[in-house]
Amino acid sequence: MTNRTDTSSETGTGTGAATTADAATTASDTEASTAEPSSSDESGRAGLKSRAKWYVLSYPLFWLVAVFFVPLCMLVVFSFWENIPGGQYQIGFTLENYARFLDIGFTSTWPFIEPGLYLGQLWLTVELALVTAGLSLLLGYPMAYYLARMNRPWLRSVLLITIISSLWVTYVIRAYAWQVILASGGILSSVGTALGFLAEPQSFYPGYWGLVVGMVYVFLPFMILTLYSSLRNLDGELLEASKNLGAGPAKTFRRVTLPLSKNGVMSGTALVFILALGSYVLPRLLGSPGQRTLPVLIEQQIMSESNYPFGAAMSIGLIVVVLVFLWVLIRVTNVTTASLGGTEEIATDGGSQPARSSAPGPLTRFRSGLGTAAATVGLTAAGNRLGSALDSLVTRIDANTRESIIWVAFRTYVAAVMVYIALPLAIIIAVSFTPEEFLTFPPGGFSLQWYAEFFGTEAWRTALLNSLTIAGAAALLSTTIGGGLAFALDRFDYRWGTIYGTLGVLPILLPPVIIGVAFLVFFLELEIGGFALAGSRLGIIIAHGIFYAPFPFILISQGLDEIDRTYEEAAMNLGASSLRTIRTITYPLIRANVVSGALFAFILSLNEYIISWLLSLFLVQTIPIQIFNQLRYSYPPTIAAASVVFIFLTVVVMTAIDRLSGGIWE
Amino acid sequence: MSGISLAGVTKRYPGGVLAVKGVDIDIESGEFVTLVGPSGCGKTTTLRTIAGFETPTDGNIRIDDENVTDAPPYERDTGMVFQDFALFPHMTIHENIAYGMEAAGEYTDEEIDARVEEMLELVELPGVGDRTPDQLSGGQQQRIALARALAPRPKALLLDEPLASLDKQLREQMQVELRRIQQEIGITTVFVTHNQEEALTMSDRLAVMNDGKFEQVGPPEDVYNDPDSRFVADFLGTANIFDGSVTAIEDGYATVECADVTVQATAQNGISTGDDVSVIVRPERIRFAAASESDADADATANATANASASSSTNPSADGGTQPAPETVFKGEITFKRHLGSSVEFRVETDAGRELVVVRRSGLDERGPGDRVTVSIGAADCRLVEE
Repeated sequence: MTNRTDTSSETGTGTGAATTADAATTASDTEASTAEPSSSDESGRAGLKSRAKWYVLSYPLFWLVAVFFVPLCMLVVFSFWENIPGGQYQIGFTLENYARFLDIGFTSTWPFIEPGLYLGQLWLTVELALVTAGLSLLLGYPMAYYLARMNRPWLRSVLLITIISSLWVTYVIRAYAWQVILASGGILSSVGTALGFLAEPQSFYPGYWGLVVGMVYVFLPFMILTLYSSLRNLDGELLEASKNLGAGPAKTFRRVTLPLSKNGVMSGTALVFILALGSYVLPRLLGSPGQRTLPVLIEQQIMSESNYPFGAAMSIGLIVVVLVFLWVLIRVTNVTTASLGGTEEIATDGGSQPARSSAPGPLTRFRSGLGTAAATVGLTAAGNRLGSALDSLVTRIDANTRESIIWVAFRTYVAAVMVYIALPLAIIIAVSFTPEEFLTFPPGGFSLQWYAEFFGTEAWRTALLNSLTIAGAAALLSTTIGGGLAFALDRFDYRWGTIYGTLGVLPILLPPVIIGVAFLVFFLELEIGGFALAGSRLGIIIAHGIFYAPFPFILISQGLDEIDRTYEEAAMNLGASSLRTIRTITYPLIRANVVSGALFAFILSLNEYIISWLLSLFLVQTIPIQIFNQLRYSYPPTIAAASVVFIFLTVVVMTAIDRLSGGIWE
Repeated sequence: MSGISLAGVTKRYPGGVLAVKGVDIDIESGEFVTLVGPSGCGKTTTLRTIAGFETPTDGNIRIDDENVTDAPPYERDTGMVFQDFALFPHMTIHENIAYGMEAAGEYTDEEIDARVEEMLELVELPGVGDRTPDQLSGGQQQRIALARALAPRPKALLLDEPLASLDKQLREQMQVELRRIQQEIGITTVFVTHNQEEALTMSDRLAVMNDGKFEQVGPPEDVYNDPDSRFVADFLGTANIFDGSVTAIEDGYATVECADVTVQATAQNGISTGDDVSVIVRPERIRFAAASESDADADATANATANASASSSTNPSADGGTQPAPETVFKGEITFKRHLGSSVEFRVETDAGRELVVVRRSGLDERGPGDRVTVSIGAADCRLVEE
């Protein structure tokens, strides 16, 4: 019905309006009838419909605007207020905070300017993020390639589940694992001395490279999963065609595989960069004082110095970096807001496929730009020569030997990366069973005493209960916000639908430390009005509920998008009212999406540290906070036991999500 | 059981597109009416206004003498079968069929179970109640969709291209089946299709739609044999169409001058000299002259056009009617021949360069491509419509 192709689906672009032409027609045609109560009066029905549309939207919008956007704006306002030493601040207008942040010193020698402490640390933050992203790409690409090309499904599942499981375990536990490995007297040092590489026990942390190793370890899974889905989409026949046309493996890779996975490379790198930029826990736990990144400095200003205006000013600085990066990314690659939403599809399949929606045209432009640049320095020529040399070398060996050499090398590599990914958590698990008073590896025996200690200590039990309560409530809140927004945007047309949709994915794009500071500032102001949210579980629940709302939002939008609207029409035709239709048809059809959205929010909230910490005001303990605090003083193996309990919880929930969605990772 | 009436039903979409432009029809109780037309003609929209998925911008809809124009779909008591069946994938067949009765809330569980069994018997699929829709074939799903629509005893059955997704053989089988069930229950039915053959074979009446309007409403034979417009003739079945203008009307016959030929046709009310008209001739109404005769004619005259009026007096009607009716005769060559089973279709290119489609019963003709033929069209077999 071409003449019925409607106008409405355009308004809701990218937010879940029906996709195919046919579906779009039916969908928007029926929008009127799906969610409206009955009334015989025409104008009354129209009125009800337009009112229902705002009723439905008002709930998610309340949270995303009044409780999320307002705090962010307050952060901007706050950054101009004046600090009174001793944890006070007053309303005013001063540029002092920014002046301090942007301080530049002048010297008499070239280059005559020297960045002040904060600008220097800002550059360090960016540099660390770049190094992390670059190394993740180098390590992750062959791994992802192997995963995508291997033909043993069960092994692939095992590897993917391992990668994904580690992804969701709190940074605190994972940083702790590296402390155990890198510390003086830790595993690396013990093994090193035992094998004679090291003359005496040596500590590899805190320090720059220890930090880099930890950061790459933490963010590598995001990179692998993003690249994996990009490479998985690559048609195997294309590779065969290339070989059939006489291109050797190296040439095939350079001319076919690499160009076709460029989208995945771009988005994986961008994702890791943004995540690394906002990372607090790793620089704090693995870096030396010299490696305090911006998030660490912000936390210090807030929690130690109680200098809220300056903390706010630095947060704005960090937001600016993120925004500039996103802007450059969009300029260079023309990734649209819609595909930035795609960046969040970590939820749908574990950090994958954000690239699919970005247009290839500008990417080609980017690539050819890069190509030109490389050619000018002769890189391409060198690369080509190297490539053909490699090709002729491998072609000389007979095909079977060649294949097996490649696969053996590949498997060794993959095994090494998998060890890198899986070993730290395995070590924590092993250590948790030690019978000794201190952390030792290998453990000198087997004992459950630290588990007994964990469950027997009031503080740990309280922390566990708090963690579960907060995560449960936050998951419910996220799901209602995300679900409400998804439903509203799917069923009705709003003038600013795209903006509401962007608002739905925005929280997760911002570094969590900034979310934490914004909420803290907001809650402290509310406190004047009599709402004591800072330092309470409720405050953390609200912050987590909003921060993780993008996950249910994206998953439920997808579910609603995929529903065939005729099911709902059929139900109504059979006499089911709107509510009955939603209850008996719509909800059951998207139940898997709703439940996995909720579980994602649950697991993320469970493992979240920095927001909880900032909002706790030392009054609320969660498991990540408790572990983190204990790490400051000593290393009782209870931490390991607590971590194992937590890892176990995480894996159980992830498996549940996987079951629910029928192999969501594929 | 009861009828449906549409009065001036109009649907304008927010973008300003007028999908339905004031259609009127009174469908009697138990009648099977088909809305047929090309894609985008508004037939589905019309059906959806009856079901209540669309609210008309103007006009009103009555079902069983009750004005339902603004009633929501769930208060209309219509049973709809959707193009892709829309069987609820998360429910068993039994639950699907019971859904409408449960929503109505007027039935006991025993009544519902009994009715479900009854419906499964009706569609000849007893015992599939525990299966899920994806365990059934397309044809079976089709039957279940029908059973589900009929289970709550609706006042009318609405069918939105329900046979479109079935393969040809199954489609023909389901056409018969659907009609059997409809007649068995005697339910008022509105059927939407773009398939003219389905429309012709299944309906009591059909309404040919074009550009949001009804072009013609009537029993299939009438609409096929006496199309009211060039569009209807062209859309339903195959038609040979001669566009021209009326130069004379004499003795009940009109002479129509076309670019390449002059055609004699039975005059019709409302058509007068000077009108621009189309002459419509169905392929099976065109006759081949005997082989020998056609050869003789071919020798006598090279130009069919010049010969047209002359031959009308010399060749009496083959029907052997009381009055010799004028005929239009063409000479030409068969360019193409294909067997349609019980009949054979020929394409004949006349010497003036026009292509005619001729359908003859199988086994009458040995002629094939390359053979010269003379074809004749009786004035009574021509239908005149205003252009």
